[in-house]
Amino acid sequence: MRNRFDEQLKRLHVELIQMGALCEDAISAAAEALLKGDEALAETAIEKEREIDQAEREVENLCLKLLLQQQPVARDLREISAALKMISDLERIGDQAADIAELTRYVRLPDDSHALHIGDMARSVIRMVTDSVDSFVKRDLALARSVCGADDQVDALFRQVKEELIALIAADAAYGEQGLDLLMVAKYLERIGDHATNVAEWVEYSITGAHPSGQ
Amino acid sequence: MKRQIFRAILTVALAVLLSGVALIMGVLCGYFQDRMTAELAKSTAYIAHGLETQGRAYLTGGLPRDSRVTWVAADGTVLFDSREDPAGMENHAGREEIRDALLLGHGAAVRHSDTLSQKTVYYALRLEDGSVLRLAETQYSLWLLLLQAMQPVALVVLLAACLALWLAGRVSRRLVEPINAIDLDEPDSAAYEELAPLVGRLRSQNLRIRRQVADLRRQREEFAAITENMSEGLLVIDRETQVLSYNTAALRLLGVEGPVEAGESVLALDREAGFRRCVEEALAGRRREELLGDLCRRVLASPVEQDGAVAGAVLLVLDVTEREQREALRREFTANVSHELKTPLTAILGTAEILENGLVKPGDIPHFAGNIRREAQRLIGLVNDIIKLSRLDEGGPTAQWETVDLYRTAEDVLEQLRPAAERKQVTVTLEGGAAPVRGVPQIVEEIVYNLCDNAVAYNRIGGSVAVTVSAGTEGGRIAVSDTGTGIPREARERVFERFYRVDKSHSGGGTGLGLSIVKHGAAYLGARVELDSEPGRGSTFTVTFPPVGP
Repeated sequence: MRNRFDEQLKRLHVELIQMGALCEDAISAAAEALLKGDEALAETAIEKEREIDQAEREVENLCLKLLLQQQPVARDLREISAALKMISDLERIGDQAADIAELTRYVRLPDDSHALHIGDMARSVIRMVTDSVDSFVKRDLALARSVCGADDQVDALFRQVKEELIALIAADAAYGEQGLDLLMVAKYLERIGDHATNVAEWVEYSITGAHPSGQ
Repeated sequence: MKRQIFRAILTVALAVLLSGVALIMGVLCGYFQDRMTAELAKSTAYIAHGLETQGRAYLTGGLPRDSRVTWVAADGTVLFDSREDPAGMENHAGREEIRDALLLGHGAAVRHSDTLSQKTVYYALRLEDGSVLRLAETQYSLWLLLLQAMQPVALVVLLAACLALWLAGRVSRRLVEPINAIDLDEPDSAAYEELAPLVGRLRSQNLRIRRQVADLRRQREEFAAITENMSEGLLVIDRETQVLSYNTAALRLLGVEGPVEAGESVLALDREAGFRRCVEEALAGRRREELLGDLCRRVLASPVEQDGAVAGAVLLVLDVTEREQREALRREFTANVSHELKTPLTAILGTAEILENGLVKPGDIPHFAGNIRREAQRLIGLVNDIIKLSRLDEGGPTAQWETVDLYRTAEDVLEQLRPAAERKQVTVTLEGGAAPVRGVPQIVEEIVYNLCDNAVAYNRIGGSVAVTVSAGTEGGRIAVSDTGTGIPREARERVFERFYRVDKSHSGGGTGLGLSIVKHGAAYLGARVELDSEPGRGSTFTVTFPPVGP
């Protein structure tokens, strides 16, 4: 009985890794599509989003099956419930990556794009997603906590990008529509950062048994 | 086993006990009846005697109370009975014992009552007058006797059963003890003769298992030793992507620290898209090759099939940095060669066209012809250098290894370079003494020539070149110092590349292959090239040859 349970737990672990990796792919593709204006990459990101949805359903099924059939307790229960929470965050990351990919069809970065910190923001967010998935894979508590710290940095970058966009629109009113689209992209990135933080918090919960938000 | 033995002994003991009791009972019963009959016969004889001597009056006198006395006439009519009125009794001639007595003189019979709980023993004796005297005594039947004797018998049986229980336990323990005492790892045949074949088989199988385990361990160690020494990363995974086996190279190439936990998924080691595709495809039964994102690693995944189904996969991770670099170098070389060959040819072609169209004054023809000759010479030099290099690439010329004196070689080379040095007003000095080294004379000369040629060609006007030859314990060494422009730090590795020039303007002439020839030649001879340079002050190239063998 225990053997079968362990086997299923391992499968859950593998499927979560796969789902995390899909999220990384999606957000990288979306960011790349944004920074390079590559339509094909935007398609990839949207394609990945569908795979992520599929993966979410599979993991959810597996979790429910584990909960109902094995009635786990203590650490096992924590791990499965954390997994259930994590997949909804991962799924949101996938959705927002797809949203960014959609927007890149209409958005062109300004020529002096180095003046805009949206690239830095995208890179920070990708790093956060990678680290949160890594912290889960390696059960690395320190890494999970560092992800939570990195979120402040992303928030600061968001404010900076917002100000830069305001300046751009003030200088050239014709840039208004593009500017707003870019602001949306920045907001989506900021949200992805939040979800990555959530994932990291659930990782911390599954390791220590205490959710960092103090519940 | 102990329980079985115990049960068997107990069953046997109880069976013996019970059957013993039953047999004794049966025997005793028959014996009692015989005794009773005999006693009856005796009593009958007494009473008969009394009756014959005293007549009927005897019967009314003292008769035994527990017996029933009946006197029957010869015709069967009951004359007297001690319990009932003879008038009411039927004719007794038909009774077995009476009939026997009438016929034979005496007779006996046993009759059971209806309930079987009583039986009556009869004895009849014929008197002298022909009448028959019969005595009857009632006896309890066997069952009733048994029932009456039950209490002591039960006690005996109980005691005996307890004894049997205790003995059975003891005996069975005794029997089993030696079997329990057998050491399964090192069995000896001391216990029971019957167990000898079993123990023998056990011992031989133990031996075989131990040998097989040792074999397996050795094989595993061999496998581990082989895979550990591979520079390629090797991973074996099962259908669930769990890592079954891996080597350190795999961890290094995937950038994983520390050992992999048992049952860890391979995707926990690397989850890059290409890697995942490889794993997925291999587990779906297809071979797959991918270049990982940074282009430095190639992953080859092959499915492992067992009974027609995919049981897992083998992943090979190759470090292709060197290969990629070599590939890049080769592409660069091809491009460079084409370019270097084209430049002089274009010059020759242009000059020849001008001459052909008669646009040149006859007096200028020698000048143009000189151009053509110079460019052609450059081409020949270039082609020669390329040929030399490709020979070195293929493993060097087939010439014999000899002992070459570096000092003599340097002398010869400097002699050849004297005109060029004089043109640039470069002072050339040669110091040191004889330094024998082992090598192919042609290659040694190429190395020294190219170093000295560069030292002169890239020197400033009026500079100097110092060649120092020495023979140390380390081996022969030649150092060539110049007072040229020097080589910037970042270019120090690259100067040995083909067609690389510090001065991109090609002003110095030369093919750009000289130092490449030095490097390859030195590598071929096992020598070491070192470069020390200070931009603006000059450079020193030092070639150290391996010591000459005894």
